[in-house]
Amino acid sequence: MESLSHAFKERSVHALKDETLQVALNRAKDGFAVKRAKAVEGLPEFDALRDRAVAIKNHTLENLDHYLERYADAVERNGGKVHWASSAEDARRIVVEICRAAGAKMITKGKSMVGEEVGVNGALEGAGFEVVETDLGEYIIQLAHEPPSHIIVPAVHKTRGQIADLFHENHQKYGLTRKLSEVPEMVNEARQVLRSKYLEADVGITGANFLIAESGTSVIVTNEGNGDLTCSLPRVHIVTAGIEKVVPTAEDATTLLRLLARSATGQDLTTYTTFSTGPKRADDTDGPEEYHVVLVDSGRSTMLADQFREMLRCIRCGACMNHCPVYGAIGGHAYGWVYPGPMGSVLTPLSVGLKEAGNLPNACTLNGHCAEVCPVRIPLPDLLRTLRHREYQLKLGLKPLRWGLAAWVWFTSHPRIYRLGTRVQARMLATLAGRKGRFTRMPLAGGWFKGGRDLPAPQGETFMAVWTRRRKERGQ
Amino acid sequence: MSGRETVLASIRRGLGRGPLGDAARRALDERQGATDSAPLLPKLPKGPLQQVFRAGLEKVSGTMSEVAKLDEVPGAVAGYLAGHGLGPEAAVAPSLESLDWSGAGIQASFGPTRGGDYAGVSLAWRGVAENGSLVLLSGPENPTSLNFLPDHHIVVLHGKDLVAHLEPVWGALRERGEKGWPRTVNVITGPSRTADIELTIQLGAHGPRSLHVLLVD
Repeated sequence: MESLSHAFKERSVHALKDETLQVALNRAKDGFAVKRAKAVEGLPEFDALRDRAVAIKNHTLENLDHYLERYADAVERNGGKVHWASSAEDARRIVVEICRAAGAKMITKGKSMVGEEVGVNGALEGAGFEVVETDLGEYIIQLAHEPPSHIIVPAVHKTRGQIADLFHENHQKYGLTRKLSEVPEMVNEARQVLRSKYLEADVGITGANFLIAESGTSVIVTNEGNGDLTCSLPRVHIVTAGIEKVVPTAEDATTLLRLLARSATGQDLTTYTTFSTGPKRADDTDGPEEYHVVLVDSGRSTMLADQFREMLRCIRCGACMNHCPVYGAIGGHAYGWVYPGPMGSVLTPLSVGLKEAGNLPNACTLNGHCAEVCPVRIPLPDLLRTLRHREYQLKLGLKPLRWGLAAWVWFTSHPRIYRLGTRVQARMLATLAGRKGRFTRMPLAGGWFKGGRDLPAPQGETFMAVWTRRRKERGQ
Repeated sequence: MSGRETVLASIRRGLGRGPLGDAARRALDERQGATDSAPLLPKLPKGPLQQVFRAGLEKVSGTMSEVAKLDEVPGAVAGYLAGHGLGPEAAVAPSLESLDWSGAGIQASFGPTRGGDYAGVSLAWRGVAENGSLVLLSGPENPTSLNFLPDHHIVVLHGKDLVAHLEPVWGALRERGEKGWPRTVNVITGPSRTADIELTIQLGAHGPRSLHVLLVD
């Protein structure tokens, strides 16, 4: 997918002013956090399982080449085919080739974030295929021609009214005559329309939450049953998966599954956990005839080399964005690429470059909530800080900001001058503020005082001065 | 260089090492998983497994009734259909074909479904008490389409097939030997649902609107 991250600031301002978006975001705000907290409370072993999950992921990443080879061999032993994609471009080409070879016309898709990342839909539509997203949220944003704004609830930014309008515009060809208003009737409308697509499709494309090396199995979790229909009914099943999704055994995947749903939606386990191993067997009466896995690197192997290897533990639960005040205020679209929120602010600059996405690591209060809730303990604030450091070293930030920081560094590393300077400033500002003890206006800082906000003035002495005086008074 | 070699070489560059030696690879193969220790299994609430299973199932809006013998399954299915105002038709897994369906007044079709059936009846391979989950294996005896396309999914579970956690299920799959993993293993925990519109939970998104377990014990 093409990045719009360079326009982060403009898009954030736009998002903050978008009243409909703010209604949708406010509705979502605390729901996820409360549900997650309840689910975690119900599993006393949660923290111990997190430690296990970290160990599982770290071990697998240290031996990633080995486990991927074991995985690929097992897939082929079961009659499936593994395709290796170094880049997003490779992945798009491979998927298009498989669909062409299958003589496909219609393709259904289960939700796949790596599919969004490499831009599978655009490539397939460009090659003349009809592509239908089947996850309700993905389907809604496909109708709206928008990218997802959240990795597990892609249409969280849409209100019921907007969805009713989309169905009204797009479903008249299926016989919908009136505008729907209730959630159950909208879900049912999508169910009816998509049911026929599942049955008609030649190829079904899903992502993978995990790949199991031992058995050559891909695992998806869905609540709707859409991914499961997508991988069962069409003739051909294609799995698109990042190379970091592999784990050694089904037991390892199970440990991660216990964390995934609780962290994502606050469920103990997602409704459907579907394990696919190869195409249908000789005597099976349903299931796909072909099973393909496209393993996508696209920058992941480079992340193995430094501290960003920790990011490859990510199981895409969305807990970090559900607990992020910045995401909660601006939603996912402002970030401008596939992955929003804290995990996206790490991944996006690594994928599309700091020059394009340097603003994202800066849009963070470093409050640490994301790291606290991360089921695989990714130190997201540390990684964001490293990216800020890199941005500074690459001289990418705004010039006035760089000058300001450079001046600040000079002052703080010369304590005598720093103390003198602050002493003079504190006294001057205290005098200027007068008896009120606060400013209501100041040259060049008009923005701060908009809407009646004021600024407390220094009281005339610096902290260091007070400290020294008091020590003297106590005779120390 | 093939795609495989390119990606593997790039991974090794990232890891800062060459390919692993044979001894190292053998050591990895001999491990039981990523960690050296046995999986950490959450402690279940006190009480018989059936009770824990039922609590898990009901938490996710599933329902359950019990029959004493497998022969009583068609009668129980007939009762379920009548109770839900459905006609006496059902798509039934061939694994349950030997039961007397017509004797219970049910017109049963055996095999996969293409979506025209209101009720599907399957046989679970295992039940998992931890979350009230059902484990179903695909095969000619148990077509996967029955698990997803009918509005009502009725699953037969033998009491002896109830286990505490998912982990023993994987052990049992390994013991199937040559047959190993089937094409599809479905772990099903409640009926289909979505929260994609304003985070409002709605049952029956794309899969079954209701899930009923018939426990044979």
